[in-house]
Amino acid sequence: MTIEGLHRIDSTRLEVPKGYKPGMRTNGIIYVDEVLEKELEKDSIEQVANVATLQGIVGSSIAMPDIHTGYGFSIGGVAAFDLKEGIISPGGVGYDINCGVRLLRTNLEKVDVIPKIKELIENFYRDIPTGVGSKGKLRLNADEHRKVLVQGARWAVEQGFGEKEDLQHTESHGCIEGADPDLISDKAYERGRSQLGTLGSGNHFTEIQYVDEIYDEAVANALGLFNRQITVMIHTGSRGFGHQVCTDFLEIMQKAVHKYNINLPDRELACAPFESPEARDYLASMRAAANFAWANRQFIMHWVKESFMNIFRTGPGTIGMGLIYDVAHNIAKIEEHTVKGQKRKLVVHRKGATRSFPPGHPELPEAYKHMGQPVIIPGDMGRASFVLIGTERGMQESFGSTCHGAGRLMSRHQAIKRAKGRAIWREMEDKGIIVRSAGRATLAEEMPEAYKDVENVVDVVHHAGLSRKVARLRPLGVIKG
Amino acid sequence: MKKYEQLDISGDAGLKIWGETLEGLFANAAEGMSELITDVAEVEGTEEREVVLTADSNEDLLIQWLNELIFFFDTYDFIGKRFDISLKNNMLKAKISGGRHNPAINESRLLIKAATYHGLSLKRDNLQWEAVVIFDI
Repeated sequence: MTIEGLHRIDSTRLEVPKGYKPGMRTNGIIYVDEVLEKELEKDSIEQVANVATLQGIVGSSIAMPDIHTGYGFSIGGVAAFDLKEGIISPGGVGYDINCGVRLLRTNLEKVDVIPKIKELIENFYRDIPTGVGSKGKLRLNADEHRKVLVQGARWAVEQGFGEKEDLQHTESHGCIEGADPDLISDKAYERGRSQLGTLGSGNHFTEIQYVDEIYDEAVANALGLFNRQITVMIHTGSRGFGHQVCTDFLEIMQKAVHKYNINLPDRELACAPFESPEARDYLASMRAAANFAWANRQFIMHWVKESFMNIFRTGPGTIGMGLIYDVAHNIAKIEEHTVKGQKRKLVVHRKGATRSFPPGHPELPEAYKHMGQPVIIPGDMGRASFVLIGTERGMQESFGSTCHGAGRLMSRHQAIKRAKGRAIWREMEDKGIIVRSAGRATLAEEMPEAYKDVENVVDVVHHAGLSRKVARLRPLGVIKG
Repeated sequence: MKKYEQLDISGDAGLKIWGETLEGLFANAAEGMSELITDVAEVEGTEEREVVLTADSNEDLLIQWLNELIFFFDTYDFIGKRFDISLKNNMLKAKISGGRHNPAINESRLLIKAATYHGLSLKRDNLQWEAVVIFDI
C-alpha cells in the first residue's frame, strides 16, 4: 500500500503531489521501489516537499533511493534552480562539502592480496591519518593553503602526489573554477590547516576490495575492470575546512533570508537569491572547499599507492595502479540541462547524490566519452560497493544524477544496542574482512545492519534507468575513523 | 536536576538540555557536547579560553556558542570542562577552562561537524529552561 498522500507512478517512482503541503511550487519524485518504500521516513518526505517550496525550482524536487532525513534538504536530494529566479542553499550541499568517492584499479587479483591483506591495512592505518583528533602530515603555509583552494587536486599533482591522468579521471578535473580564497574566514583556514590529507571519522573509509560480479562486460573492459581484480576505494571530503565554510555561510544565509524576505518552512533551508552577493560568495567559498576535498582524496590516494608499492616491493606501474574515477556527492554546480526542449543553465544541488552524465557529454574525459561517466557507489563495510555508468535517461529525468550509497537504516543508539556483547571486528574477520578502526564506537555504529542494503538502492536506479550497473565490489579490508 | 540527555536520532546525535537559568543551560549544553566527543574526566590540562558572541536571538546564540566550541576542538583539540558564562541582550561572554584531547590517550567518541538549526528549540516554563540541539556527525 502506498504511503498516505503519495502516489506511485511506477515500480521505481513515488510522487509527492504538489498539494502534499502548502506552498509547493512543483511536485516531488522519490525513487523507491515497494521494498525501500517501507523504510521511508516521514520527515524525509516532508523535506522533499519543503524543497519544492523554494523559489525558482526547475522540474521536480527529486530524492534518490538512499533517501534519509537530513538538515533542510534530505540526504539523497537533487534540486535544480533557475539562475535568475532561483536560489542557492548551503543546506542543499551539506556540511561536508564535496564529500565523495574515488576508485583505484590494480592488475592484482584477490589471490595475490589475501596473504598480505593484514599488512596492507596496517600500512594504510599508519600512513593515512584517521579518526577524531588525528592531524595531517602536511603543514600548509598560508600561500600553499590558498593554492589548494584554487587548484584542488591539480596542486597535489604538481607537488608530486599523483599523475596528470588522475585529473582527467576526476569530476571537474579535480578543480572547479571560480573559487575565491579571499572570501574564506580565518576560522576555516585555521580549522583546515592541519586536516589536509586526513580521512576523518564516521562513515569515511579507505577499503581494499575485489570485483565479484560484472554486469556490463564492454564498459567494465573499457574501465579496466575484470573479475577477481583488486580495487581500492577512498571515501572522504573537505574535513573541518568544509564544515566551517558551511557553518559560516548558514549564519550569513539566516540573515539573507530576512533581508530578501524569503519564506521558509525550515531554517536549515536558509538560502539567498542566486544573483545576490551572499549567493555569489557562498558559491565561490563552496568551490574552494570542493577543491580542498579533491586535493584531500588525491593525497590519500598517493599514500594508498605507496603502501601497495612497499608491500609488493614494486612500482605503481608494475601492479597497474591507476584512478578509475572520482565523484563528488555533496555539491552544487552550474550545469546546462534541457528542460521542456530548451537548453538552460541551472544550479543543480546534489546532497547525497552523484553526478551521472551520459555518453557524449562534453565534461567527460576522452577515454570515457563514448560510454558515459563512471559512478562510484560505496556500500557498508560488510556487503558490497558498486560501479555504475551514466545514462541519457538520467540526464533527462534527474538532471544527470543518481544515488550515492546505502543510506542509514538504524540510529546510532539502535546500532550500538544491537552490537552490544558482539565483537563486530571478529564477525567481519569471520567473513574474510579485516577492519581497523580508530574510534571504539565507530565499528558498532557503522556495522552493516545499520545500513540499507546497497544492492536494493542500486537496483532501483538501475531499473529506473538513471544509471546502469557495471560491476560489484566486495570488501577485503578497511580502515575507518 | 538533570543537566542534559542524549537523544537518539537516525544517523546523528542530539541533546536535550535543561538549566535553571539561561546561562546554566548554555553551560550544560557545552558540557553535554564535550561528553559526546570524549570522556571529559580523562582530559588533562588547565587551559583557558575566552569567547564573546552576539546573535539575533538566544536560539541563534546557542548554536553559535556550540559551533565555537566545535571549532576549538576540531582546530586545537581543546575540550572545555568548566564554563563561566554571562548573557545579556543576546551577547554571550564566556570563560572556558579545559584541556587538550590526545587521541593516543583519551577516548574518541564522535567527530561533530556542526550544531544545526534542525529541530532547534529553546524555551522556558515556570521552573527551568529547556533546549533541543541536533548535531551533524
